Amino acid sequence: MALTFKINGQTHEVDADPTTPLLWILRDHLGFTGTKFGCGIAQCGACTVHLDGTAARSCQVAASDAAGLEITTIEGLSPDGSHPLQKAWVDLNVPQCGYCQAGMIMAAAAMLKATPKPTDADIDTYVDNLCRCGTYQRIRAAIHQAAGQAPAAPKKAKA
Amino acid sequence: MDDAAPLSADRRDVLLGAALLGGALAIGYRPGAALAADAATPELTPWLLISPDDTVTLRLPCPEFGNGAMTQQAQAVVEELACDWAKVKIEFASTNRDLVNFGVYSPVPAAAAFFGGRSTISFRTIALQQVGAQARERLKTAAAAQWSVPVTEITAADSVLTHAPTGRTLRYGEVAAKAATVSLTSQPVIKRPNQWTFLGKVPVGKVNNAEIVTGQLQYGIDVRVPGMVYAALLQSPVHGGRLKSYDAKAVMGMPGVLAVVTVDPDEARGVAAMSAAPLGYAMTAPRAAVAVIADHSWQARKALDVLPVEWEDGHGAQWKSTQQLYDHAIKALDSDDNVRIEKLTGDVSNIAKASKVVEGIYLTPWCEQAPLEPLNGTALVTAEKVEVWHPAQNSQQGHWVASDESGMSPDRVFFHQTYVGGAFGRRLESDDVRMVVAVAKRFMGRPVHLIWSREEMTRQGKYRPMVAAKLTASLDETTGLPTAIIARQAARGHYPRFADTAYFMGPIPNVRVDARELPSVHVTPGPYRGPGYNSYVFMQETFIDECAVAAGIDPLEYRLKLLANFPNPGWTKSLNAAAKGAGWGRKLPKGMGQGIAIGAWGLNGSPKAGTCVATVATVEVSKKGVIKVHQLDVAFDCGRVMNRDSVANLIEGGSMFGLNMAMNEEMTVENGRMVEGNFDTYPMLRMADCPKINVYFEGLSDTDKYAEMGEPPVAPVGPAVGNAIFSATGKRLRRTPFRTQDVSWS
Repeated sequence: MALTFKINGQTHEVDADPTTPLLWILRDHLGFTGTKFGCGIAQCGACTVHLDGTAARSCQVAASDAAGLEITTIEGLSPDGSHPLQKAWVDLNVPQCGYCQAGMIMAAAAMLKATPKPTDADIDTYVDNLCRCGTYQRIRAAIHQAAGQAPAAPKKAKA
Repeated sequence: MDDAAPLSADRRDVLLGAALLGGALAIGYRPGAALAADAATPELTPWLLISPDDTVTLRLPCPEFGNGAMTQQAQAVVEELACDWAKVKIEFASTNRDLVNFGVYSPVPAAAAFFGGRSTISFRTIALQQVGAQARERLKTAAAAQWSVPVTEITAADSVLTHAPTGRTLRYGEVAAKAATVSLTSQPVIKRPNQWTFLGKVPVGKVNNAEIVTGQLQYGIDVRVPGMVYAALLQSPVHGGRLKSYDAKAVMGMPGVLAVVTVDPDEARGVAAMSAAPLGYAMTAPRAAVAVIADHSWQARKALDVLPVEWEDGHGAQWKSTQQLYDHAIKALDSDDNVRIEKLTGDVSNIAKASKVVEGIYLTPWCEQAPLEPLNGTALVTAEKVEVWHPAQNSQQGHWVASDESGMSPDRVFFHQTYVGGAFGRRLESDDVRMVVAVAKRFMGRPVHLIWSREEMTRQGKYRPMVAAKLTASLDETTGLPTAIIARQAARGHYPRFADTAYFMGPIPNVRVDARELPSVHVTPGPYRGPGYNSYVFMQETFIDECAVAAGIDPLEYRLKLLANFPNPGWTKSLNAAAKGAGWGRKLPKGMGQGIAIGAWGLNGSPKAGTCVATVATVEVSKKGVIKVHQLDVAFDCGRVMNRDSVANLIEGGSMFGLNMAMNEEMTVENGRMVEGNFDTYPMLRMADCPKINVYFEGLSDTDKYAEMGEPPVAPVGPAVGNAIFSATGKRLRRTPFRTQDVSWS
């Protein structure tokens, strides 16, 4: 059936099964391949997008539920990679393979909108995506930098 | 993958000669028809183009899967080319062109090492410097001709050529077309490492960072080719099984479904042409499979989910449980049938008579590499050619496997390497390439994009093998150090690196290491991050800790004593640096402990080769047995580093990889089938689990090598954490993962 999506400020018409996950609408039907498939069960967060400004794992959102909402993908986060998170990511050389990083940035961007000065505990809670390369330490540092926070004090063992 | 000993000065010259005379770098080389160059941007060499706007395009053979290999290769070129780093763009070198143009991208006979493997290996750095130096000299020659001045008066820096006496300048892009017609009369001499001004001197970020953070970088799964269709895959749930029946009619009417195709492992394959597959074909054998092809991937997935399929499970179904397999492996340790001796030094026959004997049985389970980009690939098979777009770990291996599976002559195979969303060994052997081509050849004429679901990928793995080992040592009555050790191992698909440790190269005078295969085990083994190494270091370093405890000596001091006369000082330097950073020996509250471990990747029997890594873990265990790793302090010796921040990033990430392996990872078996399918049952560490990771460069020995960094940090983490848990609780963990074991205390 015909579905209408508003993605990164543009309107797109798609003829698809309304139960198709938004992830596949974005990737296969519309070519927004920055949103990644990792697990298909909302475990890894590689498919994170914003729906009306809130982070959502698009592999678990039916197309019919996303139609009509303001959808933002990594391609629409900033016009030219100038979002403070994107700049901090490059500055701190965060990525390794890079596959999870778009989802990480989208999760972090949604968090910063609601919580501009996040604590480490906030980051643990809201950016719990999976990075198999293990770049978490740098992701945390980059979020703090983007939020204008001084580098977090090293977590000390309780000794 | 293996490290190589640093090249001597003589060897360097031989290689340069080979590159000059035999390969693509030959002066005056003209591009073949394979890749027609833009008229405005002629090729300086097949490796390097410079556009009028000064953009330098490099075509590089070693793929990028998170290790920074593309950046590293580009740095080596730029060291000599002296261009503006910001103007460098990178592409993947073509394996087809390498083949039809006689090794144009593999100027050293070990071609496999050029299209895969380590980016800092000496012959690669030399060849890349040579690429840059040739281009620079030809640019200078072209400028000299334009100004009618001696070439010796021209300098090159930051993409600008300067005639110092007159102050005239030309940008590289202004003379690139002319430079492409220049032939040099001799091979430029490249800089020695002590003359480098860019490599290891100027910090650079990963070349793809901007594309990664904007979602623009194209991984295999992002390939979009006109006319492309999508496929979903289901393989025999018991490894080695066969397809009994399926009913295509049940799904052919579903929306978008185009075809149901099968993959038969028993059909005849291969091409008559000679093969140069760097890793051979044995490990790429296809599994019995059925695939649904549809207009969109979700349609293919939904149809596959309801496709009636029956399987013949085969002999693997005899294994009812994981424990049955573990018992089988442990029992095999007591038999010497079909045993293979890996190392025998001195005499171990008196070990049992010693007054103090330490013995333990250790086990590491099957582990899934689980790169975040699921296995996938795209192939177009026609009567005339095969094209593949693929996230490979070694594109040349992928090229030959595509030829073998399709029967297409290798010069008619075009393998387009993409970026790779993690590999960790899973994408090395190219069984995934074979499966993509096997499906696509049943739907000729259309590009078929095949995606494994996470569950399909996880259960159809090529796992880090399950290994059981029994270690026995006699301790000297006076020093407490081992006088003899016997290491017995059992595995299917064992990677024989157990003997590759400093301890067995002199410090312990009497050593026997043996191994036995478990042929009746059906679970398929494969490479992993640090194959073999990731298992044996856990076993050895847990065992050495037990020896230290038995001798009543501090675990750090024990290792330092054992390694006191080892000819590679990097080991003790790394142990000391990690221990110092961690505040080793400080008083900790009850329930907290520190553990230390060390291992080396790439020794290959030579004490001075490879990279050693020492890790100290500071761990808290609650009374209920919840483990919290607070801090990892890591020091290492790879000789020297070229890219300090990239090395630090790999150690941080490799430590997390090792921590996950030790804490979480275990693939289990039920009635022959792999049980875990996704991250809900195969858990991964996340942000909240990430300890503070400190990386120290004080272990570096400054010896003449730039040894590997991706795999070395993985192994010592697990035993360091296990030893810390022992220190905190008195409970000794002899197998992984830790999360399934009781470490509660009172």
